[in-house]
Amino acid sequence: MELSASTVAPNPKRTSRWKKRVLRNRYIYLMILPGLLYFALFKYLPMWGLLISFQEYVPTKGVMNSPWVGFRQFHRLFSDPDFWNLFRNTLALFFLNIVFYTPMPIVLALMLNEVGRTAFKRIVQTIVYIPHFLSWVIVVSITFVMLTLDGGIVNDMLQYFGFHEINFLLDSAYARPIYVIQAIWREAGWGTIVYLAAISAIDPGLYEAARMDGAGRLRQIWHITLPAIRSVVIVLLILRIGSVIDHSFEHVYLVINSMNRQVMDIFDTYVYTAGVQQGQYSYTTAVGFFKSFIGLLLVMLSNWLARKFGEEGVY
Amino acid sequence: MNKALNKPSRTVSHWTKWGSAMSAAAVLASLLAGCSGKDNESESANAGAAQPTGSAPASAPASAAATDNKPLKFTIMADLHTPEVPTEDILKLLEEKTNTDITIQWVPDGSYDEKFQASLATGTLPEAAFIKNQASIALVRSAIESGQFWEIGPYLKDYPNLSKLNPDVLNNTKIDGKIYTLYQERDLARSGIIYRKDWADKLGLEAPKTTDDIYQMLKAFKEADLAGNGNTIGLADRNDLIYGSFKTLSSWFGAPNGWGEVDGQLVPDFMTQGYMDTMKFIRKLYTEDLINKDFPVTSKTDQQNLMYTGRAGMYIGNLPDVKTMQEKTSKNVPEAQYDVTNTIAGPDGNPRLWAVPGYGSLLLFPKSSVKDEDQLKKLLGVFDKFFDPDVANLLKYGIEGKHYTMQDGKVVPIADVKVLEKEATAYLGLALADYTNITPSLYTLPVMEKANNLVKAAADFAVPDPTAALTSKTQIEKGARLQDMITDATYQFMVGKLNESGFQAAVKKWQDQGGADIIREFNEAYQNGQ
Repeated sequence: MELSASTVAPNPKRTSRWKKRVLRNRYIYLMILPGLLYFALFKYLPMWGLLISFQEYVPTKGVMNSPWVGFRQFHRLFSDPDFWNLFRNTLALFFLNIVFYTPMPIVLALMLNEVGRTAFKRIVQTIVYIPHFLSWVIVVSITFVMLTLDGGIVNDMLQYFGFHEINFLLDSAYARPIYVIQAIWREAGWGTIVYLAAISAIDPGLYEAARMDGAGRLRQIWHITLPAIRSVVIVLLILRIGSVIDHSFEHVYLVINSMNRQVMDIFDTYVYTAGVQQGQYSYTTAVGFFKSFIGLLLVMLSNWLARKFGEEGVY
Repeated sequence: MNKALNKPSRTVSHWTKWGSAMSAAAVLASLLAGCSGKDNESESANAGAAQPTGSAPASAPASAAATDNKPLKFTIMADLHTPEVPTEDILKLLEEKTNTDITIQWVPDGSYDEKFQASLATGTLPEAAFIKNQASIALVRSAIESGQFWEIGPYLKDYPNLSKLNPDVLNNTKIDGKIYTLYQERDLARSGIIYRKDWADKLGLEAPKTTDDIYQMLKAFKEADLAGNGNTIGLADRNDLIYGSFKTLSSWFGAPNGWGEVDGQLVPDFMTQGYMDTMKFIRKLYTEDLINKDFPVTSKTDQQNLMYTGRAGMYIGNLPDVKTMQEKTSKNVPEAQYDVTNTIAGPDGNPRLWAVPGYGSLLLFPKSSVKDEDQLKKLLGVFDKFFDPDVANLLKYGIEGKHYTMQDGKVVPIADVKVLEKEATAYLGLALADYTNITPSLYTLPVMEKANNLVKAAADFAVPDPTAALTSKTQIEKGARLQDMITDATYQFMVGKLNESGFQAAVKKWQDQGGADIIREFNEAYQNGQ
């Protein structure tokens, strides 16, 4: 059977066009090459490790020689009495984080936008932005020192004003609110910068036109500023969804203790205590796999919703 | 004139484009390289918990002739108990005395378990590795039983010092009936009460002898408010049920050490009345404000600080710590005087105290790096020397003249604690001998001498853990996670979040999720051993 050249060999015209494009933009490709390598090496390449969630992994035997057990680890996960609690906590913390965080930088940016004096604006911006550079260890430690019953400043002030001391650190009712407040305190400044940039790109002519029509400050914000930054809000929201799912381990791990484990233990911290500390590698890989799957669904869902509402999604 | 305009601008912008792209790429690449991890071969403390940076296995030709007098090259993974990696003076002397070339992989105590686990999982453990303490055995048990470590039992008789190791302690270290580890000597029962004697004297109180005395003392401390400004704390505790106050107190309420016999059956301590009584005691302290309010989340550093700043009156923990405690507190509160005691009566009127199995830590020899019997024998030879008087003293005290002086044939450490901490203290983590062939110290601090004597005397009434040498499959698989449930329930009971029935519900949950199997398996092993 004769195979014609066109079905066997790649289309020469297609290839050279693609090559030409890369060549033409070679500097840009060169510039993003380290970033691409980073993602390839640290995010995509390790994915093959997901295999061990279908095995009973024994470190000395390695991946190739450990016994295969199919979906047993996943069955174990779904029948674990802690599963629903972990699932509930993961989703609860996720939603609290997204819902309470998202308005904050917008409000801050709007407020800063109203400020006339640029010097003051710059100073406030910098101050608000600094916590972003503190590690979670510092943020949680500061919280601990401030909220402790044995001489913390918050309780001292409460007592000074005649109120009862509040056991913030040991009462599980306060665990989630403290978690959310810490997240807002640390991250809000970062979002503010982005929104301020977006707001400053709005055509001042629109504001003038609105003022001539008799619009007050609030109306201007509602009808001009907010719609103009709508796309930015959506994009940042989708990105934040991805980041909260992935990166909240450090924060939650630092906040968890015997008192609040019931309401704060999420999949990631469970993976750490049962997996890294107690050596159950296959099981916890299955747990992490499942969690990542949920995260993927959430990101895809929010992107689809964004597009449905006429906005550009992230992809 | 227009020539300048006709000059192709590509020449200049071409290089600018090229240059900026290259520099951007170079900056990013170097950032990645710089952030990617520490040097494996260096002796720097490795803080990355999940980064397995095991060093390359010793390339010492173990197959070389036995007459080879080249220094034996190998790496040890050791627990770092000081804030910084120590200087190498002692290491060099150690290498001289043992004819070795040792690389020490210091791992900070806080992340030791994780680093060990990660190295184990990736097969990068060095030739010799310590485990953190007796609680960490559970983490390696299955690895040991699956043959990843050398069984050294049969070789010990060939060495002058190793053949004289205490058989009872060795028995406690056996896994599945075989000896896989060398042990780091420790006195059996080192815990007790350290309290402010100056406060007690002011209030006319004597050393406590019963748990009720402890309560009265704490109450008196709090009411007298000797630290001033309502800042006085009775008992300073921390977030550790074993090495904090709880386990020691539970001995005095009659609870067994981990597991105990009730009606002929082994049961875990949290199912005994003594455990419940201990929880109730601490709960009483908590409600009456006689213990630091945040003890379930207080770290060891913060707990000890409460003592050093003169705020707290009592500390239940390792008695030999009184030396550091006295020195550090005296800097802030010159009139502070500490006293120690560990002879508190249990419910039957006799003193009792929980015992560690005679060792602090264990030394393992992974088969992944120790390639053959010959190399193992050479390593054992080196560690045999660790029990020789000069090496043992070197690791425990340091270099004579630099870190201590001799007086009347006894050791007197130098007064400069900072120098000791920088150069000598960390090597205690490597030492195997704690009292064998060790020159006794001259105690400049009387309470320290008292503490040491009390610790030695406590060996008589120390209560061992009957499950120390037993194996339970379920305990290895799920034990740690199940124990977390009990730990959480214990803390919640003590702060008043859970009542008795709530605690019993947690115990039942423990049983249903695997605890009942653990009880059964330990009892079977116990019966077989009888």
